[in-house]
Amino acid sequence: MIPDFDQQGAAETKQWVPEVSAPAILLENVSKSYGRIFALSNITLALNGGVTGVLGMNGAGKSTLFNLLMGKLKPSQGSIKLFGTDPWKNPAPYARVGFVPEHEKMYDWMTGYGFVSTFARLNGLTRDEASVEANRVLEFVGLTDVAYKKIGQYSKGMRQRAKIAHALVNDPELIILDEPLQGCDPLARTTIMNLIRELGRMGRTVLVSSHILQEIERITEQIVILHQGRLLALGNLHSIRERLDKIPHRISIQAENPKELAKDVIDIDEVYGVSFPDGKNISIQTHNLGAIHSQLPRIIVDNNHKVSTIDNPDDDLASILGYLTSGGGM
Amino acid sequence: MATKPDTIYRAFDRKASAIVEFTLRQYRTKTSTWVVLGVGFTALALIFLIYIDVMGSEFESVDNDGDSTDYDNDGYPKGQELRLGTDPWDSESHPGLFDTPIEPDPISMYINEDGFDWDINSKIGSQTTGIDDDGDCLNSNKTDSQKDTDNNGIPCDIIVDFYRLSDGRIYSNVLADSGVDEDPDEDAYSREAIHMAFVLSIGKLGFVLLLGIFLPLFMATGLIRDEMSSGTMHFMLAKPIARSEVFLYRTLGYLGIVWPYVIVLGILGALVSGFAGSGDAFFRFADLGVWLAIIFATMMATLVYGMLFNALGVFWKYGIILAIPFAAWELGMALLSMGAPDAMLLRFSVIGWALMIVDAAAMLVWPNLDLFIVMGQWGGGGQGSGWDFDSSLEGSGPLDFFSSKPGLGLSAFTAMIVATLVMLFQAAILWFIGGAIFKGKEIQ
Amino acid sequence: MTTSENTPPMAAAITPQPVEYAAETPVTGKVRLEAAWGSTEGDEDFTTTASSAPKPDGQVFKPQYKQWNGQLNPRWMRNWAILRHHLLGIFKKGHRPWGMPIRLYLLVVFIASLTDVGLTLVSALIGDSGLHSIWGVSRDNLYGHVLGFFPRNMLYYPVIAALLVGGVISEDRQHGTSALYFSRPITRFDYVGMKFLSVALIQGLIILVSLSLYYFAEIAAMGRGWAWIIDTLPMFLATVFSAVLLIFTYTSIGLSLSSVSKGKFFPGIALLSIILGTKILAFIVSNLFDREILYLISPYDCLAHVGQAIIGTQPTYDQYSWTWSLASLVAMNALALYVLTTRVSSMEVTRE
Repeated sequence: MIPDFDQQGAAETKQWVPEVSAPAILLENVSKSYGRIFALSNITLALNGGVTGVLGMNGAGKSTLFNLLMGKLKPSQGSIKLFGTDPWKNPAPYARVGFVPEHEKMYDWMTGYGFVSTFARLNGLTRDEASVEANRVLEFVGLTDVAYKKIGQYSKGMRQRAKIAHALVNDPELIILDEPLQGCDPLARTTIMNLIRELGRMGRTVLVSSHILQEIERITEQIVILHQGRLLALGNLHSIRERLDKIPHRISIQAENPKELAKDVIDIDEVYGVSFPDGKNISIQTHNLGAIHSQLPRIIVDNNHKVSTIDNPDDDLASILGYLTSGGGM
Repeated sequence: MATKPDTIYRAFDRKASAIVEFTLRQYRTKTSTWVVLGVGFTALALIFLIYIDVMGSEFESVDNDGDSTDYDNDGYPKGQELRLGTDPWDSESHPGLFDTPIEPDPISMYINEDGFDWDINSKIGSQTTGIDDDGDCLNSNKTDSQKDTDNNGIPCDIIVDFYRLSDGRIYSNVLADSGVDEDPDEDAYSREAIHMAFVLSIGKLGFVLLLGIFLPLFMATGLIRDEMSSGTMHFMLAKPIARSEVFLYRTLGYLGIVWPYVIVLGILGALVSGFAGSGDAFFRFADLGVWLAIIFATMMATLVYGMLFNALGVFWKYGIILAIPFAAWELGMALLSMGAPDAMLLRFSVIGWALMIVDAAAMLVWPNLDLFIVMGQWGGGGQGSGWDFDSSLEGSGPLDFFSSKPGLGLSAFTAMIVATLVMLFQAAILWFIGGAIFKGKEIQ
Repeated sequence: MTTSENTPPMAAAITPQPVEYAAETPVTGKVRLEAAWGSTEGDEDFTTTASSAPKPDGQVFKPQYKQWNGQLNPRWMRNWAILRHHLLGIFKKGHRPWGMPIRLYLLVVFIASLTDVGLTLVSALIGDSGLHSIWGVSRDNLYGHVLGFFPRNMLYYPVIAALLVGGVISEDRQHGTSALYFSRPITRFDYVGMKFLSVALIQGLIILVSLSLYYFAEIAAMGRGWAWIIDTLPMFLATVFSAVLLIFTYTSIGLSLSSVSKGKFFPGIALLSIILGTKILAFIVSNLFDREILYLISPYDCLAHVGQAIIGTQPTYDQYSWTWSLASLVAMNALALYVLTTRVSSMEVTRE
């Protein structure tokens, strides 16, 4: 209750010392229910270092998970630790966290610079320090040119980057991004993805959520899949898929001469079926996606096939979820 | 970060001033802020204009004792005939028939010819005062007992008696010898009384009540709630700052726009009433004390209400629905404090304490306010104790209505301090409650 | 539309199929599209894909317009749907949500404004003519039921008006839900008219129904005959008229505030502060300076003055004629309706 008189940013528990050995994020048997509906049920998870993608359809519980981590919600059961400290009613750990909320609404009347530097001061920086830091992160996210324009005039991608700058201004060790790519055009997506990868390379723990697998795939291979409030899978994206080998994968290739290509492709051991859905396409069925992907390019090049697209139509989140929930699952 | 030792400025140039500054700039971008402040200014300016107009106009002079009338149509007013010993009711008896005939006096000589000369303080007990300026008591050919109708042994005086009844309130009684202070100057009295009543009424109802409740209602209810429902609260709460601090600094930001506004309006009021007010002085410096108290009480009221409405907004999405009945309650309490400043109920309101500050200041600055009201209600006439129809002077009624004792039986200075402390305490409690509610609030 | 022979056959034969991700589903453009966007957010409806002949480098969809040959329901029926949507929301779910606190307050006010009905019945039961002369139907009591300041026009009627107008238009502006109306064959006039009518009707439900109950309670409890009814009907109707005037004025001021603001609360507080604030200011001025002129800017006082004149109670405003108050009321309403219509006719159908 007592205000923070020295205003240095450690909030209420001034003597807060982060546990060095504790992981950045530790959830133990966490459930969150609204009445009889479980938004999250029994999640146990520890994360430290690297970029992790949190995947799930709408309503899978991604935002609930993040809001729990940010102390916005109180877990119904279980315990949450951020650097070894429970974030509910204790904002102290946020000195080391950056959070990009999913909400679209921003302070349209502020300039990008004003937005970032004002909120930097909430970390306990003085005006001058905040100004230096704000300019640094704005440059990092590539908004220096428009830093003094109103956020209301920003494009969607610029707004997202401004939000990321706001989160990065305290040089956090843990960065949580809730749907940072939502509604961005492809160029903005690429920029933001590069940013996130860059953060991962800098050794930060990054948590990024999306409902689009391809986006996450371009950022990281380490994923957490949530479905209907449950933790469905955790680990490397491709190793998850390899565990699903019992179920056939399809690769769709659009080629000028599908018949010839089919002849060559059927020679690969792992291919057990080829079909022609129409005159232009060839569909390969396999149990081992990795093997095909390693051999396919060589075959195409060696035999001089003209291929316009190679596509894994089953590679999206919905089909993985379909496999995981209906097929053998975990 | 904390390598350099912090000066106080540097210490507060972090979170606190960031949020305060942010809040101020946010208000600046909202149209509703300017509309609310503009409408408040216009409404008060309208009243100031009416006040200036009233002060600029003449108050009608009334011949309270009727001695300016020439009842017998002989050309001599009653007062002159009485003074010179002729019969005012007989047209055949007038000073023009004297051996050396005397010209009739102008009628205006007998209007407002005997004003108040009260030089006592309002205290319990009876005191004697009053001077017969025009000599229609002292120099008349009445008998001694006729000159002393109030039977206290002093001819031609007025007895003012303040006494306390068993209900604890102070009542007053005026007994005057016939012909003393019987024809006061209406213009002087009413101008002064209406001036004081204006300062008190605009201060209590206009500033403390209207500004004090409606500014927070418009501006403080959404301080946290708007941010929570639009989702922008996430930006602030993702930083290492306690929620009760956010609550406090947001409220401080709100005060940062409301307090200067109240101060500017208060100074405007002080200037208007200081220059246009009654009296011979170029500017009424003494009134500044009351205006200071009005500004201060309004500031305290906006502080407590701001905390309260902000907390209600945090507490419930429809906090305004709780705030509106509360505002109506406070309105009722304000009216109650005019009539019964000692009522126990007032202690459970905010406005009761705020008005106590204004009342106490009025008591300090105008120590003889009570006497002044008694004077106006008695209203001259000099007919002794048998005076039973309303002779009170214009202005004494409103002044009596809008002024009241600070209550609790405290002296003015103590009352002011107690009221201030109570309101600070209320604000602190509300901050504590609001912060605690906010802290336990789940935010989507 | 004429069809020439050059027009390629429309590929309208593509029927929608359930999108599945099992292995046996043939790989079609549909699934590809699904995979590319990777989400199921309502875009997965392929019912109207009419395209020209497919080309290998992509397809150009040709817009095809079809005349709608259905029958549009009459205007009153569409308007009735809007009105019904707002009115029924007070009573049950599935219509415009009014919010529990507002419905609760409406109920409380309705019960509280029935006090004089209860007192009439009580006095009839006791059979005390003295009590009845205080509580029964009389000019003053009819006036008091609609236009009394405390508590009715301080705590009841302005507050329900404030709560009702709160989000009626401003929330549509804030959330962009006005598009739901304006994308249908509904004129803006009908839209705002029905909103106005629904807010006014809900207030009417409370004020007029309780007033009628009061009148009929008197007839039933005291066994009044035709003579009494003929005697009192004019003043009852005058009271009804002043109640309608009150509802109309509060609604038009409130809705014009609602149309100029965003958010739910501003219009409500603004309406309250206009009604109570002007009243208090005028009260100060009339008490202090003995000038009643400021009552002309107070909607409540104008209503009360006009009401006193037409109901025939003792006037409490005596420095000017009641026609001034009527003129002021007309001016207030005209201004409010002008603001309302211009704002609504220029309202952008977007989220602000």
